[in-house]
Amino acid sequence: MSFPSDTIAALATPVGTSAIAVVRASGPQVAALVTGIFGETPLPRAASRADYKDVRGLLVDDVLFTFFAGPNSFTGEDTVEISCHGNPFIAQKILEDLFARGCRPAEAGEFSKRAFLNGRMDLSQAEAVMDLIHAHSERALTAANQQLRGALGRQMDALISQLINILARIEAYIDFPEEDLPAEDRVSVLRELERLKTDTGRLLATSHYGTMLRDGIKTVILGEPNAGKSSLLNRLVGRDRALVSAEPGTTRDYLEERILVGPHALRLIDTAGLNSSPSALEKHGIDKTIEQAAEADLFLWVIDATHPLPSLPSSVAARLSSANTIAVFNKIDLPTAHPDSAPRNFPAVKISALTGVGFDSFHVEIARLADSFQAECGDELIAINSRHAYALERANQCLDSAVEKLDADIATELVASDLRGTLDAFGQISGRIDHEKVLDQLFASFCIGK
Amino acid sequence: MIFNRTPFDVIVCGAGHAGVEACLAASRTGASTLLLTGNIDTIAQMSCNPAIGGQAKGQIVREIDALGGEMAINTDVTGIQFRLLNESKGPAVQSPRAQCDKKAYQFRLKHTLELQPNLQVFQATVTGLIFKAGKVVGCQTNLDIDFLGQTVVITTGTFLRGLMHVGQNKNEGGRLGDFSAKTLSGSLLEAGIELQRLKTGTPPRILGRSINFTDLQEQKGDPEPTLFAFHDTRGPEELFHVERTGERRIGWKPGSEQVSCWMTYTTPESERIVRENLHRSAMYSGEISGVGPRYCPSIEDKFVRFADKPRHLLYLEPEGRNTNEYYINGLSTSLPFDVQLDLVHSIPGLEKAILLRPAYAVEYDFAPPTQMFPSLESRKVENLFLAGQINGTSGYEEAAAQGLVAGVNAARKTRGENPMIIRRHEAYIGVLIDDLVTKGTTEPYRMFTSRAEHRLLFNHGSAEIRLFQHGKDCNLLSINRLNKIEAKIKAVHHWQNTLENTKAHGVTWADTVRRSSSSPDLPAEFLAQPKEVREETLYRVRYRGYLEREQRQIEKLKSVENIRIPDSIDYAKIPGLRRESALKLHQHRPLNLGQAGRISGVNPVDISILMVLIAAGKDPKF
Ligand SMILES: Nc1nc2c(ncn2[C@@H]2O[C@H](COP(=O)(O)OP(=O)(O)O)[C@@H](O)[C@H]2O)c(=O)[nH]1
Ligand SMILES: [Mg+2]
Repeated sequence: MSFPSDTIAALATPVGTSAIAVVRASGPQVAALVTGIFGETPLPRAASRADYKDVRGLLVDDVLFTFFAGPNSFTGEDTVEISCHGNPFIAQKILEDLFARGCRPAEAGEFSKRAFLNGRMDLSQAEAVMDLIHAHSERALTAANQQLRGALGRQMDALISQLINILARIEAYIDFPEEDLPAEDRVSVLRELERLKTDTGRLLATSHYGTMLRDGIKTVILGEPNAGKSSLLNRLVGRDRALVSAEPGTTRDYLEERILVGPHALRLIDTAGLNSSPSALEKHGIDKTIEQAAEADLFLWVIDATHPLPSLPSSVAARLSSANTIAVFNKIDLPTAHPDSAPRNFPAVKISALTGVGFDSFHVEIARLADSFQAECGDELIAINSRHAYALERANQCLDSAVEKLDADIATELVASDLRGTLDAFGQISGRIDHEKVLDQLFASFCIGK
Repeated sequence: MIFNRTPFDVIVCGAGHAGVEACLAASRTGASTLLLTGNIDTIAQMSCNPAIGGQAKGQIVREIDALGGEMAINTDVTGIQFRLLNESKGPAVQSPRAQCDKKAYQFRLKHTLELQPNLQVFQATVTGLIFKAGKVVGCQTNLDIDFLGQTVVITTGTFLRGLMHVGQNKNEGGRLGDFSAKTLSGSLLEAGIELQRLKTGTPPRILGRSINFTDLQEQKGDPEPTLFAFHDTRGPEELFHVERTGERRIGWKPGSEQVSCWMTYTTPESERIVRENLHRSAMYSGEISGVGPRYCPSIEDKFVRFADKPRHLLYLEPEGRNTNEYYINGLSTSLPFDVQLDLVHSIPGLEKAILLRPAYAVEYDFAPPTQMFPSLESRKVENLFLAGQINGTSGYEEAAAQGLVAGVNAARKTRGENPMIIRRHEAYIGVLIDDLVTKGTTEPYRMFTSRAEHRLLFNHGSAEIRLFQHGKDCNLLSINRLNKIEAKIKAVHHWQNTLENTKAHGVTWADTVRRSSSSPDLPAEFLAQPKEVREETLYRVRYRGYLEREQRQIEKLKSVENIRIPDSIDYAKIPGLRRESALKLHQHRPLNLGQAGRISGVNPVDISILMVLIAAGKDPKF
């Protein structure tokens, strides 16, 4: 019997329950991966501490990794276990990075299956392994079905029917050159492909969870002008990133910076102050702020503790809740500060962006809220989602390559070969799509038959 | 009476395109073979249009040639028009197509069979099979003569309970002018083989001298014909290898004196005639229960389903050099004869056309092909093989391919050898048979290039290279030809390497080939190679990236393709397998994990579970 030669990766620990998450990869590529990620040749069975940097060189987390050389590993192949903070977002980023580096998501129970096939388990365990595969797959299936019944399912159906339409149009001209078909129209096929690409890209990007993973939790710093928003950002980032000024209204546009708070990746956005009577110039900045607030996951509402409590524009206020907002009373270093002035519906912290007072508990509060976001995402969903992202990413690559060929006027059977790749990738989310569907579409839309 | 005390190795029932290849393949590999046909004068008859090849089918014919079959060479020497389709696209989807002289095609094949050593041809209609202990051991005929055989190959086409419709008029028979094999269906049913109904149709034939060609668009053959047979690897004695007996054979220099086809269109008047008479069409009045092919709709279907299409293209195809009969390609119908007349006369150029034969639809029994092994042997009855339209396919090429495989395997079975199984990634023939036995079909199955996931590898010019190993392992080709193919393969590899590794002006030849759309200046020594070597080398070099990607996918698939599923497996008792999957697997009884994975409703998890089970080597019956 011959064995699979690709390298697989998946979370090895249940998500969100422990302080540490373990990502496991197994397969022939593992040794090269370890060298590529950590810059050191792996020593078998020795745990090393290292920074995990993704393919683009961005820090994901500091982790502990252990390399097991095959055949003396769980699966019998080269294996690496990467322990990171028990935050699913981090584990997820690591997984996505492994996929980007050429691993593929492990199928249900695949580690056990490999272990068995490589003789790492004895015969009596075969049934147990089969049950395990079954159980994993049932759980994954339930979660997947739940999602496919919802918006994702509808979006996937739309993408797939778009694609089948395009493929049918291409295949018609390959398989029926003698038929009286309307002139082959590469331009409109190209247009439809571009549309499909945009829609696929949008699905990939608008997946809220996916965006949080890729870009971090979108955190908007808002408040009145001069409340100290920019100062707060600088303090959180650890350097002077934003222009701080005593002159109100300095930050007219918005500014973005990524930080890690404990295990959480945050996409910090500094905004223009929300002024109740703005100048024309300020008005533009305020509009931008409202726009940003509409899509934010987390709000840091900065309140100048030396001032009376401000009010917020209703469109912004409507988005704030105790689950996504921290009231940040700033400038408590000043004698005129009176942060206890009024009760709030939001968790509150008292800090000084100038001196750094109160930031420890501020960090704790941010982490607490960020944790609660992941709880919403549930257990198996994580694995499902990384598969979706992987599949959509692959679908997109194939689409890119198809578009490129159509653009360059390269033979359409090569375009079709890329689009089959896309179809397969979509099928990994929605279930295998029989190529017969393309023929069905073809015969429904073209009058074929001499 | 019993005709023979010593059983033939192989008895082939039916002398259509499947039967002809079946009996030739069996006898050429050394099996004593009997061909039974209801009518010796209709051997290898083209019941539909007189053309061979076309998209995907053209590739199949070349594959048949690579496996020592007769269809390609027979087409070449009796072809009257040759065209290469899809010339504007890449080599993988270019396909040769030819119009043949219908009678010459038949006569040459009949003659070929007559001269074939180990083969006996006899005219008798098979009326039933003789079974013994669950195996087939021979057949009965209408002459009350029984024939004994170790294996039987059924290639009866549309003749099983064939029923022809011209409007409300019905005639029994598998083809106009021939009779229907009724009782054979009963024999198959008795053996536990399930049968279903399909239908197909053909258009009217008209007299050429009654056509007004003045305003019709002409379609000429290619000045440089693309032939089907691999003439480069044949010696003259191979080309006409039956001529060694010294007998004269019908046929001419391939591509000489080509004739034209003509194009015309239906008119609004045609549409009116069809619509007003829909209720009299056998198909629309519910007379016909069988399912027809979507790719070959009747003219009724075309007008009804594509109402916005103002007119439909028709080709007028000559049926031969020595006949004035023309085939109206695109006008198949089951309307009554009087309507057919009006319809034909409503078409430009055919205003005064004289009909020679009416169009008709035919309904027939087929045996759903999932009841066979990939060797084309029945799962229900040992030593019984089925090939061609009886398996639910359509097309001469699809039939011939199956006939060849069934003939080879029937012969091999008698010698206790493993069957020849052509895989999906090797050839269209592999895709064809795998689709049939794994998925089955609900309409007459026709090959399309898009059915092949690895079609980029299936350029027609590489058929001989792709199938070399099978030809060699199964003794289908002469030593001389095997040597020549081997030399060709070596030359292609050599030049692939040379072009990849030799630089001129700082760039490898290969890169130059890949960058330029036209043919760049290549080393003189390469240009001096035979055309076949040059074309295959350039194809591989130019498309290297894509071809390598296909190869990688194939390698991945092979790991499951090579895992055999034990016969004794009881899916119902496998822990972890979902009920739905177990049921599907039980119905299809796939032979390996690759085949299992292609059954709809079976998912990767089920395959994983089976893989563990099989690796455990436990008694899978549990
Ligand atoms: N004393 C004191 N001054 C602060 C503090 N945070 C910000 N400031 C000052 O308040 C002014 C406005 O700060 P800035 O960060 O530009 O406010 P923004 O308009 O909300 O971005 C600047 O002069 C800062 O130095 C603080 O915690 N304590
Ligand atoms: Mg500011």
